Amino acid sequence: MSVPISGAGRYIGQRVLRKEDLRLLTGRGQFVDDIAIPGVLHVAYVRSQIARGRIVSMDLEAARALPGVRAVLTAADLGQFNVRLSNMHLHENNGPITLPLTAEYVRYVGDPVAMVVAESRYIAEDAVALVYVEYDEEDPLITVEDAMTGPLVHADRESNVLLQIGLPPNPEYERILAGAAKVVTSTLRHQRIAQSTMETRGCVSNPTGMGELTVYIGCQSTHIASAAIAIAFGLSENQVRVIARDVGGGFGLKAQPWREEAGAIAASLLLRRPVKWIEDRLEALTTSCPARESDITTTMAFDADAKLLAMGVVYNSNNGAYPHMPDAGMPVMMFMPGPYRVPVYQFTGKAWFTNTVGLGGYRAPWAIESLARESLFDKAAREFGIDPIEIRRRNLLTSSEVPARNPLGIEIDNITPIECLDNLLTKIDVPAFRAEQAEARKQGRYLGLGIATYIEPTAANGIFPLLSDHAQIRIDHAGKVIANLSTHSQGQGIETTHAQIIAEQLGVSVDDVTIYQDDSTRSGFGPGGAGSRQAVVAGGAIIRTARLLTDKIKAIAAHALNANPDDITIEDGMVKVAGAEAMSRSLREIAELAYGDAKRLPPGMEAGLDAQYRYTAPRMFTHATAAHACVVEVDAETGFVQIKRWISSEDCGVQINPAIVEGQIAGGVAQAIGVVLHEEFTIDARGNPTAVTFKDYHLPAITDVPILEYTHISTPSDSEGGFRGVGEGGIIIGGPTLLNAVADAMVPFGTLPDDLPMTPSKLLKLMHSEMPA
Amino acid sequence: MKPAPFDYVVPDTVEEALEHLDRGAGDATILAGGQTLLPLLALRMSTPGVIIDINRIPALQGISFGGGATRIAPVTRQNAALGNGDLAAALPMLTTAIAHVGHFQTRNRGTVGGSISLGEPAAELPAAAVALGAEIEARSLNGERRIPAEEFYIGPYASVLEMDELVTAIHFPDWAPGSITVFHEVARRPGDFALVGLVGALTLEQGRIARAGLAWFGMGPTPMKAAQAEAALIGQTPAQVDWKAVADLAVSETDPFDDHSADADYRRNVGRSIFARTLAEALDQGAMA
Repeated sequence: MSVPISGAGRYIGQRVLRKEDLRLLTGRGQFVDDIAIPGVLHVAYVRSQIARGRIVSMDLEAARALPGVRAVLTAADLGQFNVRLSNMHLHENNGPITLPLTAEYVRYVGDPVAMVVAESRYIAEDAVALVYVEYDEEDPLITVEDAMTGPLVHADRESNVLLQIGLPPNPEYERILAGAAKVVTSTLRHQRIAQSTMETRGCVSNPTGMGELTVYIGCQSTHIASAAIAIAFGLSENQVRVIARDVGGGFGLKAQPWREEAGAIAASLLLRRPVKWIEDRLEALTTSCPARESDITTTMAFDADAKLLAMGVVYNSNNGAYPHMPDAGMPVMMFMPGPYRVPVYQFTGKAWFTNTVGLGGYRAPWAIESLARESLFDKAAREFGIDPIEIRRRNLLTSSEVPARNPLGIEIDNITPIECLDNLLTKIDVPAFRAEQAEARKQGRYLGLGIATYIEPTAANGIFPLLSDHAQIRIDHAGKVIANLSTHSQGQGIETTHAQIIAEQLGVSVDDVTIYQDDSTRSGFGPGGAGSRQAVVAGGAIIRTARLLTDKIKAIAAHALNANPDDITIEDGMVKVAGAEAMSRSLREIAELAYGDAKRLPPGMEAGLDAQYRYTAPRMFTHATAAHACVVEVDAETGFVQIKRWISSEDCGVQINPAIVEGQIAGGVAQAIGVVLHEEFTIDARGNPTAVTFKDYHLPAITDVPILEYTHISTPSDSEGGFRGVGEGGIIIGGPTLLNAVADAMVPFGTLPDDLPMTPSKLLKLMHSEMPA
Repeated sequence: MKPAPFDYVVPDTVEEALEHLDRGAGDATILAGGQTLLPLLALRMSTPGVIIDINRIPALQGISFGGGATRIAPVTRQNAALGNGDLAAALPMLTTAIAHVGHFQTRNRGTVGGSISLGEPAAELPAAAVALGAEIEARSLNGERRIPAEEFYIGPYASVLEMDELVTAIHFPDWAPGSITVFHEVARRPGDFALVGLVGALTLEQGRIARAGLAWFGMGPTPMKAAQAEAALIGQTPAQVDWKAVADLAVSETDPFDDHSADADYRRNVGRSIFARTLAEALDQGAMA
């Protein structure tokens, strides 16, 4: 479906090859570890090997004596900086004070207690091995259940509850439950997962000149990183230049500099030397803010027609000792009702401290809402004896019911869940599948079909720093385009998509547009990669900026050519006058005028061809919508789940580049497959992470991810350009789609266990515990 | 993840390597393909004083045939073995197993002898050596001995090899032409170590099973030889075999463990399922061939 926007279709909606790929695929990217500064020193951390206890003594002498070691630093050495780490909203957490190094009392395995700064990482690690720390060890709290009954993780806190949220108790809720035709409830335990960015965290901190600091860091916004570093060290942002050209995955892990990056920066300031810390894979899999670990108990009450009357949710999250931000489920509470009618709603959420490494955000931090809601809808459908698609149809908001407000007061408008579902169902013959499934069961083969629907709140607007984005575009004197954007890419392809928007709007070749987003001092402030916002908000900023520029180009050309501005168009880098082909001038010629010949500009017009605009999307959330389906077979011999088909039907508004849209969906679905079937950050009873390499931490491999079938509808959003976000949708909907398919396949054997991931061991146990009649 | 300091020597001959090994007095480690050792060094789970790189010793590479056996020198790359047509003709069951070791890229570097001497209990080649009745040739400055593969392994990554001994060859006895390959591996992803694996060979004479060599991998602390199941099969025609009983017998000879990927019950259940089917299918294919 094509959608009209100005000059539509030459680049918008085209599968333009990614401009960044030649650089990335030929090894010419510039990641943090590629930064080589003469005289740089290397950091390795001394980390606690116990999960909880007081430091009795630390012997650093042998480490300090090792040749090549420049310093061995403890919390006391860094005390002069009075470091204060802040979250991505640039506030200090209402939680424990988080310091780079722990002074007296360790709270998780991996808690940094000292750092070695040496001439090489090899020497630094040799020195780490020479540090002897004596602890007075205590029994750790590993799970939320431990935290409920155990001693305080942080002695200065009143309890192990870091944060509690919820809606006021509503007597109506209990009354509805008591009188409902059917009440279904289930608990889902979401495992802890490792972030597994391809490029680990890292930073190179280089103090230069008079109190200036240049920091190369794996981040999701150079501006947030610069501001957070400035706050942490009592500097101002104009003293902290953050550079991040290429970043190999963020997912939320790199939304804010954290303990280890701050430690390296402190060391560089203390020693007045460039200092590099590159997280290794062992650190990444054990001590790098993992994600998700939470359990959710959801209750739904229905009338006799399977229409939802009320929904209640209890959420608990294991936040670890020093989380990026308290997670008591605020966005889970906000988005749980999704695209459905939920007349009465209850929610309670708690964030718990434990003696584990602190949680970080991860692509769609609230995604458990769709997992819980969509799997419970399927359970309810089974109990009602109706099709899972039918129960959704009875409860989805229709276009005649919007705009509506969800129980949290969030405006729900311009959404297309029924349209996405209908479009999905044109790609899969459900009755034929049901017949095939019944036939297969007779042969001892177990097929399942899973379907899920959701809306995704993209491009959030209103919670600092998630508000606006900025574009500054200039056409140079030779007619080429340079854009400095407030965006930041961790691999999303912004150098391509946003160049497409510019090329479309300015009428130039996409090859003539270069995007810069790598330097906090070059572009305007923006939150970067966070909340599926960069197409929507920065896209809007680009369109508005380009409009300023095209108006100016037309005015200059009209003046110079003695034509009417309304008759002027820009195509393929040529400025044309309608009906007067011979009068065409290249953009370069117009640029030469703009920069070099003030006499020929319209009276009063300033020279040059550059413009900027800061854009805010019109709504608090620009919703994207999708419905997915997948077909699986669970092998009765091994319990392996084979994904046989996967169909995505999404509406992300106007697509800038369908290949990149599909890449975002595929990446999210791959992570969802990891969550449902493979990944688990395991911790033993003493608090030791036990999946410490990719041999034991099971990411889905290419053979585990099917070729997805995509179908798109494109309903323009209300924001400039009509775009909607698509960064997080794949992981949100992929999880329940797959979980529902596995549950459907396993119906003959009973109910799935409540804990993710669904490993072959768990599935085979269920199959053996209850062989079908 | 940087290795601790170590000395590094690159001998040109076996004798020179043995001298280094003797001098290392238990503090030396052999580097062949490095597919296991290098990660262990990076994690500092292995911190040897000296690493003896045997990659440049010509005598430790190559495959030869004759005298009733195939001799594989230990530093033969897994992909080199796979590319050897004579080996595929002589021991197709072994090349089938090698094709499941790691990934194409790791097989370019990984060696047959490295995998066999390391003794990862869920790896393909130690079990293949046990199943096929291989002998492991080991040398030290004090001489040479041959150890039956079945007696070689004593635990995960543990063997009867002495500190001063170097594996200098693996001898696989000939299997009669037409012998049937038995191989089935259950792994989460291609290239992973097995959750459950079965490898071996069967020889039929006049329609009866005359010779059987079968071993499990991923089913205990070492490769587990299915000796009782082998004995139960001898002399039977495929049609006579009580597959369920033989599968139960074969699984009873294992000692599986719980780990990240699966628990012991899972391994026993899957083992029971795959054993009968794998052998029956192999015999069907053998009959057709």
